Amino acid sequence: MKRYSQLSRHVGAYSDLPFWKKAAPVELLYVGYGLLVVALVVVSYILGATHLLPHDPQEMDLQLLMAPPGTADHLLGTDFVGRDLLSRLILGIQAYFLPGLLAIAIALTLGTFLGVLAGYRGGRIDTAISYGANLIDSFPRLVLILLMVAAFKPDIYYIMVIVGLTNVPVVLSLIKGKIQFLKERDFIEAAIALGLKSRVIILKHILWYNCRTVLIIQATLGMAEAILIETSLSYLGFGVQEPTPSWGNMVQAGANYFMQGKFWPSTAPALAILVTIMGFHLLGDGLNTILEGKRGT
Amino acid sequence: MGNTILEVVNLKKHFLQRSGLFSTLRGQERIIPAVDDVSFYLKEHETLGLVGESGSGKTTVGRTILGLTPATSGRILFDGRDITALSARDFRPFRKEMQIIFQDLDAALNPKMRIRAILKEAISVHEDINGPQLERKMGELLEQVNLKESKLTNFPHELSGGEKRRVGIARALAVGARFLVADEPTSALDVSIQAQVINLLKDLQENLGLSYLFISHDLRIVELVSHKVAVMYLGRIVEMGLTNRIAESPRHPYTRILWSSLVEKESKEVPGASSGGRSGDWGVFDFERPYSGCRFAPRCPVYQERGRPEKCTDPSTEPHLRDIGEAHKVACHFPL
Amino acid sequence: MTNLPILEIEGLRTYFFAKSKQAFIRAVDGVDLRINRGETLGLVGESGSGKSITALSIMGLISAEPGVISGRIGFKTDGIAVNLLRGLEEYVCLARKEGRVMEVRKDCVGWEKQVELLMGTIRGKEISVIFQNPRSSLNPFIPIGKQITEAILLKGRIKNRREAKQRALYWLEQVKIDSPRLRFDSYPYGLSGGMCQRAMVAMALASEPSLLIADEPTTGLDATIQSKIVDLLHELKSAFNVTTMLISHDIGVIKRLSDSAAVMYGGTLMEYGPAGDILRVDRESKHPYTAALLASIPSEKHIKEKAYLQAIEGDVLDTINTPDGCRFYARCNRVTEGIREKCQSHEPALREISPGHCVRCWLYFN
Repeated sequence: MKRYSQLSRHVGAYSDLPFWKKAAPVELLYVGYGLLVVALVVVSYILGATHLLPHDPQEMDLQLLMAPPGTADHLLGTDFVGRDLLSRLILGIQAYFLPGLLAIAIALTLGTFLGVLAGYRGGRIDTAISYGANLIDSFPRLVLILLMVAAFKPDIYYIMVIVGLTNVPVVLSLIKGKIQFLKERDFIEAAIALGLKSRVIILKHILWYNCRTVLIIQATLGMAEAILIETSLSYLGFGVQEPTPSWGNMVQAGANYFMQGKFWPSTAPALAILVTIMGFHLLGDGLNTILEGKRGT
Repeated sequence: MGNTILEVVNLKKHFLQRSGLFSTLRGQERIIPAVDDVSFYLKEHETLGLVGESGSGKTTVGRTILGLTPATSGRILFDGRDITALSARDFRPFRKEMQIIFQDLDAALNPKMRIRAILKEAISVHEDINGPQLERKMGELLEQVNLKESKLTNFPHELSGGEKRRVGIARALAVGARFLVADEPTSALDVSIQAQVINLLKDLQENLGLSYLFISHDLRIVELVSHKVAVMYLGRIVEMGLTNRIAESPRHPYTRILWSSLVEKESKEVPGASSGGRSGDWGVFDFERPYSGCRFAPRCPVYQERGRPEKCTDPSTEPHLRDIGEAHKVACHFPL
Repeated sequence: MTNLPILEIEGLRTYFFAKSKQAFIRAVDGVDLRINRGETLGLVGESGSGKSITALSIMGLISAEPGVISGRIGFKTDGIAVNLLRGLEEYVCLARKEGRVMEVRKDCVGWEKQVELLMGTIRGKEISVIFQNPRSSLNPFIPIGKQITEAILLKGRIKNRREAKQRALYWLEQVKIDSPRLRFDSYPYGLSGGMCQRAMVAMALASEPSLLIADEPTTGLDATIQSKIVDLLHELKSAFNVTTMLISHDIGVIKRLSDSAAVMYGGTLMEYGPAGDILRVDRESKHPYTAALLASIPSEKHIKEKAYLQAIEGDVLDTINTPDGCRFYARCNRVTEGIREKCQSHEPALREISPGHCVRCWLYFN
């Protein structure tokens, strides 16, 4: 109700409660869970990179094939050739973490740059950029990836470059929309009147203050997507190849044994995929509602 | 009083507008002469009040002077230097000297920045200043506009209207401006807060020697703070002169109508005045109505009383500002 | 018959619970008013005084989740005598902890239903409202003529659509809109602000209400248009004898149109009485707030002498932390030493100082 928002200004003496007290509990749950997942991923990445793993992920223990979780200090059991599942899971993060960051970096930097250009300058530049964005958007991403895989080698980094590029239109239109909206706002005009240079205005006022939340959210969604694509491709055999572990190819490897009742080697990585992607999505969603949604008056 | 700090000569600002909501593919472009041949000058430490209703062009005059929108023709001279067609880069040094207080209270304030950040930005725009010097300057500013230090940590939406207005003024002062365009500084404020702001502006003029272009629709407030007043209607100045002359004896029929609307809340216009069958409350912003000659004729009681003289509506005898003594100018064939 | 009160407000309190601050925003904090038939009451106040919320409370438009109303609004006209707030308290449940209210649980659905029950036959039919921004109050997709016709049909007295259209045209003529037949089919975007406001007035009066509430009808319009709308309201008032509650922060408008005036500050009445008395600048006995308000408007004397305006120091009242004593104490410039303590600690009651003229100030009572 509009009137109510006018009223809240009368409580000037109090500073607003910090956002974690204002947000609905479920959103905090999402964000909390998401942050937990992110922390786990980062920690796991570091563990994997420095080889601080409980077991050697390539060591095969042929006595303990497909052992259930808990046997002989294999916390999550072993896979079909006796390798420790937990270590392989942790190592599997290597498959998507850096590549995912690459995809995000490409999407955000290119998308922001082009979005700013299109939004601020408008006119023909805008038309040209939008045309290009539409072009990229209309390509089915998977086809592009498979083309890339067929033409070159199935290197996950190349694939992520494609993923990043195909995400540029989304970021572009988000940023462009924000800029077009904000450009008309008076405080931008006021900044010009004050004598600020255009560059400063764009970087500081528009991007930092107004777009950073959107960009953070896009980053979380980008990572979720990267995970999905990498694991899907690996599952299909186009991504990371054995014996390097990827959650996708672990699911694939364990699939054969599913029918025999040994479902754990498949389920563990599948659950990991589910939990992680959900974590990133919920983080993005929760942040979106808290930071972008019902904010302030 | 001293030097002329600002001079505006034959300023015109025309906007292009495609007519109609459902114009054909080859829609006609109509020109809206928002500011149509405006000239005045302002001396240092003086206040020139610009009065008019919406559509009169007064806000556009202010914004054109500040370079926020390019002039169509005419000249703007600041401190004797022509700033009309300067590029954005060449204009920047002038932004230290001239600032604007926006009409919208929230306009100048980025809602995501705290007041401290907003003021800090304003202070350090043209100078490199940091640390204790910055703090000192900020304290000075706050004191000048009578704002409590506790407000520094607040966001704009936590401030009251009067406080926001004062932050806007502080921002303009922070760069060291000598000339301020005050665009409706008191509308959207409660009456009691308006008085505070007016008093503040007067104080600042006294203490800092500022010059103001005071734009408002409230003739009373303008007359209170201005040394000279110019009344605008549909893009032109219809009357201009020293404040007490205009206050005591307005000569243009529009000025009189404006005054009585504000004070007595009674309309002295011709009821049902029409030109080609169209009347109603179009008021000032009526570029739709075809006019020729004096733009105010359709609403002018004097025009009616004198039996609709040809002189008023003949385009070749459009009234221009004429000096009628003691720096008082009127654009009317039959001044009161 | 002529001076029966149509609206009697007793002890109206409208609070909004701000969860983030865990406190009530006391928008309206104890208002007692009475409007007689044929009278125009002007409610004066600045932003935050609670005058608009008062109007919304009467109309049952406080539906936002944290809104709580208590008190009694008696509405009496031909055939109707009802308390517009009857039974609303049942739908609100306050959760207290150590005397402080922690949470407000409001059964919104039940509240809405009860409001509909009470206001269904009244809103738009017996009580009409004109809001501040006419363009946003009119439906942009329906021509104004049709909107007025709908209003007439809803009232129920005229059931025939053709007859209702005729009435609508009649009212468009009454509000002096030019070429009413042409404007009948216009959409709001094709009309200027002043004409939209006239259309709103026509819509409000077409249902022939017993009470008209006008909430800032002239704010936002150009000065010359404002005066025309005020002229119009003045004419309609004498022609149709409409009982009106006029809300405005513009004292000139109130002065010209009202019979009696009530000055609000911080959610409650500070002064009440005949408009001419209260709003005359030179009158001595009045509330310091009223006096200060009138003094902050530039007058001829100010302009001639280029004097400083008499500003009221400080800011508008914080409606969460209402002080113990007089609400205006912090900004009052007429406090004398003798009554200072009383002003700080006890809120004065609204008391009569001359027939029909009440003031809430310790200066006048000991």
